[in-house]
Amino acid sequence: MVKVTYVAADGTRTEVDAPPGSNVMQTALDNDVDGIVGECGGAMMCATCHCYVDEDWSDATGARRDGEDDMLDCAADEVRPNSRLSCQIRLTEGLDGLVVHLPEEQV
Amino acid sequence: MPLAPVDETVAIGDLVRDPYPIYRRMRAETPVVRVPAVKRTFLTKAAYTKMVKDDVVLFSSNDPTTPMEPAFRAHTLMRKDGEEHRRERMAMQKAFTPKVIKTNWAQLYRDITDRYLDRLPRGETVDLYSAICAPVSARILTHILGLDGASDEEMMRWSQQLIDGAGNFAWDPKLFEITDRANEEMDLHIAACAERLRADPDDSALSLMVNAADPIPWSQIVANIKIAIGGGINEPRDAMATILYGLLTNPDQLEEVRRQEAWAAAFEEGIRWVAPIQASSRLVMEDTVIGGIDIPKGDIVMSIQASANRDEDLFHEGEDFRVFRDKNPHQSFGTGPHHCAGAHIARRTVGEIMMPELFERFPDMRLPDPEAIVWHGFGFRGPLSMPVTLN
Repeated sequence: MVKVTYVAADGTRTEVDAPPGSNVMQTALDNDVDGIVGECGGAMMCATCHCYVDEDWSDATGARRDGEDDMLDCAADEVRPNSRLSCQIRLTEGLDGLVVHLPEEQV
Repeated sequence: MPLAPVDETVAIGDLVRDPYPIYRRMRAETPVVRVPAVKRTFLTKAAYTKMVKDDVVLFSSNDPTTPMEPAFRAHTLMRKDGEEHRRERMAMQKAFTPKVIKTNWAQLYRDITDRYLDRLPRGETVDLYSAICAPVSARILTHILGLDGASDEEMMRWSQQLIDGAGNFAWDPKLFEITDRANEEMDLHIAACAERLRADPDDSALSLMVNAADPIPWSQIVANIKIAIGGGINEPRDAMATILYGLLTNPDQLEEVRRQEAWAAAFEEGIRWVAPIQASSRLVMEDTVIGGIDIPKGDIVMSIQASANRDEDLFHEGEDFRVFRDKNPHQSFGTGPHHCAGAHIARRTVGEIMMPELFERFPDMRLPDPEAIVWHGFGFRGPLSMPVTLN
């Protein structure tokens, strides 16, 4: 299993375990983590699963995927260099311990 | 696996009048069921509707039996999948972002709403559906799309005619004559607006599309604008009327919404309770199984999001309007690649601007006769009027 920590805008931390192969958006939904909506189900069409990857993890999560930049422009909250659509971050063993920060608003 | 059971008892008229008791029965007894009256296999559970819309390879949007193409005189992005769909959609998506609305348009939308509210008399009963919900939605959409010069009446008529044409499953040629005329009017107006926006660009959807470095074909620019006209007036209108009804018939919830300024939650609950777009079709590309039922290739399944939104697996007392739900994972904006492109706009305009402004202006308005409200529609659904006493 891969451990993922979600840090809400108010600082609340939620730690969950996810199977490798899932993604950061789906894992949040499966574990009732507030702050990620993921309304389009991972099709990269809604920007409601926006997250900020913790600095320590930016190399491991890699670059944004094709089309992700355009969709991030549609996010409700501020887009920063470490902004990602969490549906596009696939969980691998190498991401065990991943920390992502959540924006104040998604819709 | 067995084939889907067949429900011969359901008639289209029943679904148009009140589909909810039918869906509740289907969820309990036959969640995957063939409905000969509609020539579709209904999927009424949230897990199935979501699965179908998330998987565009197995469940294609390109159902050739729908009358959408003659109605719009175009093969629109609604019926496409994959890269072509993404490209056509992203060509206008940036006109619909929260940031564009917040920074460029929010004040204009407030002013528009105020202007229509200013016209309303006090102490009288007024049909807010026709006086506010529809024309304010039309006016705001005109600005978003870049169609300045089109009147509210034209926008509302075009929208309705496109929807009627797209729903013309009987292939009645008279309805297509009406959409042909509407298409001619729209084509002329869109071309004139495009010319203006090429010379003087703004943040509207049409401007973004015609001034793009690598624009999509003109036929698809026009088709996109028509899709937005068809999908951007009746839905916010029906959403707003439904939320009004929900709040005015639940004064305790209204009071709490005002106290907490929970307009966003009221918006979500309104569209969950009665989804403006209730159902959508998908063409099955390979033999498959849904909920233990064999679904053959070539079948057309209908994702009934109206029913998914009241699924007992996800919602406690889902038949009731309850703003203050712990979670509200409704599917009114759909899911998957065809997730509503106007979702952010609807949330901002109806939820953050129109509803709060209306209740601020008329804090004591009331619905004199809730029983008299007629609800209507199978594919699209909402109240047909909303007569409210303003004071």
